[in-house]
Amino acid sequence: MATETTAAPMQVELLAKLCQGRERILREVRKIIIGQDQIVNDVVTSFFAGGHCLITGVPGLAKTLLISSLGRAMDLTFRRVQFTPDLMPADITGTEVLEEDRATGSRKLVFRPGPIFTNILLADEINRTPPKTQAALLEAMQEHQVTVSGTTYALKEPFFVLATQNPIEQEGTYPLPEIQQDRFMFSLLIDYLPKEQEIEVIDATTSMAGAQPEVCMNGDELIEYQGLVRRIPVAEPVISYAVSLAARSRPTEAGAPDFIKDYVSWGASIRASHYLVLGAKARAALAGRPHVSVQDVQSVAYPVLRHRIITNFRAESEGISSEEIIKRLLDAVKPPRSGL
Amino acid sequence: MPQSSQAATASPAELEGVLERVKSARQAIVQELRKVIVGQDGPIDQVLVTMFAGGHCMIQGPPGTAKTLLATCIARVMDLTFKRIQFTPDLMPSDISGTEILEEDQTSGHRVLKFAKGPVFSNIVMADEINRTPPKTQAALLEVMQERQVTLGGRTYPLPEPFYVLATQISLEQEGTYPLPEAQQDRFMLTISMDYLPEKSEVQVVRHSTGAETVALQKVIGGDDLLTFTGAVRQVALPPVLSRYVVDLVASSRPTVEGCPDFVKEYVAWGAGLRASQNIALAAKSAAAQDGRATVEAQDIRKAILPVMRHRIGLSFRAEVDRVSVEDIVRRLVEACPEPKSN
Repeated sequence: MATETTAAPMQVELLAKLCQGRERILREVRKIIIGQDQIVNDVVTSFFAGGHCLITGVPGLAKTLLISSLGRAMDLTFRRVQFTPDLMPADITGTEVLEEDRATGSRKLVFRPGPIFTNILLADEINRTPPKTQAALLEAMQEHQVTVSGTTYALKEPFFVLATQNPIEQEGTYPLPEIQQDRFMFSLLIDYLPKEQEIEVIDATTSMAGAQPEVCMNGDELIEYQGLVRRIPVAEPVISYAVSLAARSRPTEAGAPDFIKDYVSWGASIRASHYLVLGAKARAALAGRPHVSVQDVQSVAYPVLRHRIITNFRAESEGISSEEIIKRLLDAVKPPRSGL
Repeated sequence: MPQSSQAATASPAELEGVLERVKSARQAIVQELRKVIVGQDGPIDQVLVTMFAGGHCMIQGPPGTAKTLLATCIARVMDLTFKRIQFTPDLMPSDISGTEILEEDQTSGHRVLKFAKGPVFSNIVMADEINRTPPKTQAALLEVMQERQVTLGGRTYPLPEPFYVLATQISLEQEGTYPLPEAQQDRFMLTISMDYLPEKSEVQVVRHSTGAETVALQKVIGGDDLLTFTGAVRQVALPPVLSRYVVDLVASSRPTVEGCPDFVKEYVAWGAGLRASQNIALAAKSAAAQDGRATVEAQDIRKAILPVMRHRIGLSFRAEVDRVSVEDIVRRLVEACPEPKSN
């Protein structure tokens, strides 16, 4: 493969380290979290790609524990905010308070940083809060900074938002608009554990207080690895494949398959192709491979496209979900022949 | 998640000793409480199950059913500090957790910010009518419940140990309530239902409460004992057949899970989550420990099912129309899921 020659020896070494680091993180998290392999894997992938995640699932599935354990294993600070209908933007970003200077005795406004000044922010039940507060969070997500009364404050790096949505109890919620959802790299689904694992969980959690994950990496290393992920080369046909996956999902596109025209009201945006490639790069890097394969793209297709393909009324009445559309899309779009 | 005691693992012999102490402490506590609280043995039992397991509980019932009395008496008998917070529509998060106030330094005359601890800094916090307060304030309480600390202005203040929240709710039909979201209700271990007394007991209460003599409650245990007890509860063994039974029962309440009974599909909008299984197991362990046993039996599980599941099942519209209650659903679930035979 032509791409392999571009990987410098330094990078190969770093890749091997990254691959080991991932193994160690997963091992530490396994001490605390039983099951949920898919979610753990996807969240780790998004961390190394530098993207935010939207997690949909009923309460009580250890989302907070999972994310705080990951944070501890990577030595990142963690904060959780419960979103409520009366939460205000300042409750997230921070406010200014009047404080007296000890030396001079003069009073001035001092900025008190809000919970967003952390590495990992768990925004619990984000759809319970009105749009203005949601927007405050999403703006910070995009720009990694907040502006309060004219002054701009940079957020900590790395910075991740993991927002959860509760699929039940739709009353009194404010669903995130499509455009806002688009800012999340991945949309993940978390479900009840299989019974065998649920038994394991209750045995473990009702006994003596458990282990703590050990630190296996720190924020600076993580940032370095994020750079490495971006430097992984991708062959032209793989990029075209990712782009066609996204493009074919748009009902207005000329080459869109019939099921897209029938069932989809909004297709995936250009951010979808971007995240398909970035996610695939992260998958490859985490597996220690210096090149990206078609399988890497396919394996991130569901989390990347799930919230970006909006089905229409007809799909709903026939019980066709966006999961089903993605499945058909993967069947319909032919991968490049080169065997990458 | 109920608080996890940091106590080291005890050997079987030590555990037996601690369990003996748990049993006798429980008997002494119940005896003390009965001096003041009449005819509420069920609720007393359930509060003790929660507290010995290190969990928080919700108490429901009409006004005047001795909810606050129960909480204050327990605090006195266990020698714990007690604060009651009346939740109102205008209560703010800082009214619970505390706030920073500007204070003048006597010597220098400068003003500095000082943290004034809120009522949550207490062993037992009685959160009265929690659903009368708007969501942000509810969330503030639930956050400290979970994290057992208050973070303000970049500093962290740990709560005293042990820490318990006993919350009451007014009935949802009343005006101006903010129902607690289901995810937040899930954080309470048990819902204890207190009801009006039978007439005979009420006569006894009235004679007592209008009489001249006052009863002084004796302190039976202290906070440190409680921490030891919660550690011991976690060491009680749960036989595999029983943990499977708990998971089978709880999973059968989820309408999306294959193989759930038809009445669940019809009447249940959402079923009990993982925390239900965990808390049934823990409550059963606590009940076993209070009986001085190191192994959970089926009867312990049976007692825990309704109070744990009560606030974790959401009814469908159809159930409301047919006047089916959560209690009915839980009863039918128990009937549909056979208890393992003890041998």
